Amino acid sequence: MGMTIVYVVVSLVICIAYFTAVDHFLMESQGLDYWYLFRK
Amino acid sequence: MGRVAGKKLFSIMALCAMVGLLLLPIAVSLPSLAIGADAPDAVKKEGEATVEKGRDVYYKTEGIVVGAPAPKTVDGPKDYPRYNFESRVLLWFANQQHLYYGSFVLAVPIFCMVIEFMGMTTKDKAMAKRYDQLAHDFIKISLTAYSLTAILGGILIFTFLTLYPAFFGYLSSIFRPVMHIYALMFVAESGTLYIYYYGWDKMTDGFLKWIHLSMSVVLNVIGTLLMFLANSWIGFMMSPAGVDEQGRYLGNIWHVIHTALWNPLNVHRILGNMAFGGGVVAAYAAYKFLASKTDEDRAHYDWMGYIAMALGVAFLIPLPFAGYWLMREVYAYRQQMGITLMGGLLAWLFIIQATMIGILFLSTNYYLWQALGRMRGAEKYQRYIKYLVFVLCCGFLVFITPHTIVMSPAELKAMGGQQHPVLGNYGVMSAKNGGINVIITTTILSFVWYMRGNKLSTVSWSKFGNIFMGVFFGCAYVNIIWLAIYGYYIPANVRVGLSVPQVATTLSCLFFMFPLNAAMMKGAKQMGAIEWGKISVRSQYALIMLATAFTWMMGLMGYIRSSVRLFWHVNEIMRDNSPWAYTHTVGFAANMISFNVLFFWVSILFVFWLGSLGMKKAPVEAKAGVPGGAPQPAGGH
Repeated sequence: MGMTIVYVVVSLVICIAYFTAVDHFLMESQGLDYWYLFRK
Repeated sequence: MGRVAGKKLFSIMALCAMVGLLLLPIAVSLPSLAIGADAPDAVKKEGEATVEKGRDVYYKTEGIVVGAPAPKTVDGPKDYPRYNFESRVLLWFANQQHLYYGSFVLAVPIFCMVIEFMGMTTKDKAMAKRYDQLAHDFIKISLTAYSLTAILGGILIFTFLTLYPAFFGYLSSIFRPVMHIYALMFVAESGTLYIYYYGWDKMTDGFLKWIHLSMSVVLNVIGTLLMFLANSWIGFMMSPAGVDEQGRYLGNIWHVIHTALWNPLNVHRILGNMAFGGGVVAAYAAYKFLASKTDEDRAHYDWMGYIAMALGVAFLIPLPFAGYWLMREVYAYRQQMGITLMGGLLAWLFIIQATMIGILFLSTNYYLWQALGRMRGAEKYQRYIKYLVFVLCCGFLVFITPHTIVMSPAELKAMGGQQHPVLGNYGVMSAKNGGINVIITTTILSFVWYMRGNKLSTVSWSKFGNIFMGVFFGCAYVNIIWLAIYGYYIPANVRVGLSVPQVATTLSCLFFMFPLNAAMMKGAKQMGAIEWGKISVRSQYALIMLATAFTWMMGLMGYIRSSVRLFWHVNEIMRDNSPWAYTHTVGFAANMISFNVLFFWVSILFVFWLGSLGMKKAPVEAKAGVPGGAPQPAGGH
């Protein structure tokens, strides 16, 4: 059970970081601001 | 020994001849292109006064006028001779049938190439024989269809010449520098196809077999180039380039070919043709499965249907993204054209298209879930399918919801505006993108489940792998839906960019999860064999549904793409002055598309029947249904 939690946490960290990077960099490559709403 | 060496020599010569045929059009075209390039200089030498320059309507470059202006047609027997029937409908029919068959004969040799390659590289000899026989059967069907394609091409040209001589004359004059290349490539393709087919039994082993496979590569390169050339005509009609505003050719054929929409059209069409070809072959296999009398036959056609479906769907998954790119380029070229397509006159056809896309993916998923039934050990996934159905239905409903509805003034008043107070919110692009990406991601997940259906991973990190895969798919869904909702809170100019990370999220699932799954399933424990032929009858109807939906959608999208030119033969260059320069009603268009689909299916059934007259089936080494004995395709599936 302990290892399962570790695996889930590690997977979540990797996946959230990856998809956030995808969103940020692909918007930036189009000259757009992904964080528009949060910066406003 | 000497005979083998002779065969090798003959094979190499045949391959060289084909490569030579492939290069011939280019070699032949060089002098003419050079003449085309020199012509302005020749004119220049005669004196500056005779030189007339024009500005390219798209590239904005200056060029010397070497062509006549686009004819200004008038409604009458000279420009629009006719029978007592709507000429446009006749042309629509001829064009559509030629395109259906053209797509089929472009796609099937590519499948043959892939299947023959799979047969050559698989280590299981029985499997290799089956793959080889399957590829041979495919090309045999393609051969008959190829003749029909050529006949339909002839009918199309006669229809153009008879009913639209002025327009066809103008188009031919613009594309004159490459017309002979097209014709020569057609000859090269025919020659290659016949050598490829008739050389099958003579080139069965070792080096000779590789030569034979190389021929299929040459064949497909020629076929693809032919399609690209044909695409340049429709690209020119939609987004002309290489001519001035009067439609006069400016001497640069590359500008004429390489229009604003050429590249996205090429990508969209090649993917669409492949998906269509896979669907047609899968439907053929489904029909043969349903008509089979023995378990052996059922096993063979079940397997054939699966291979064709998998190949078709492999190209269906990226197809919406290619379509999105095409639409984006249409907007970039002429915003008004994009609005006519997706927000104006033709918008309702796009709602129908969305419905058809949804049906395609629903049918694919349904088939895969049914296919899990022929694997022992796959039962563990059955109880989760209802959740996939729910996700698919939600994505589908969001995807097909229209932003505005065609209404009478009284209905408009009763609803309080063009948009429904609740549903109107879902009809915007960011939500629709979310819908289709959820559908595609679910299809990828269904495929992953299918590929691991009867297997148990034995790698030491399988627990982490399973958890990571689950979390990755979960996060992908969250990201897609989050971006769809986020789009409502930011301005339109920022929102439009969100589709790119949405697409990237879906493609990440495809490109990362498939290899991860393959790595996890390497050396996996088999829970039971795939029992080919032991699949529900319903699954085969899903394959027929898939093929019919492909055919209908191709007809629909072709109509939409063509009718966006409205009253222009060549957009903003040559006006259509025939009595039929108006847009048909949605109902008429739908009936016409259905007629084309029906005609195609009746005629292709005839082709299949002809093909089946001399078809021989590879012996099934082990009787399907015996656990552990049924032959499986490479990789288990």
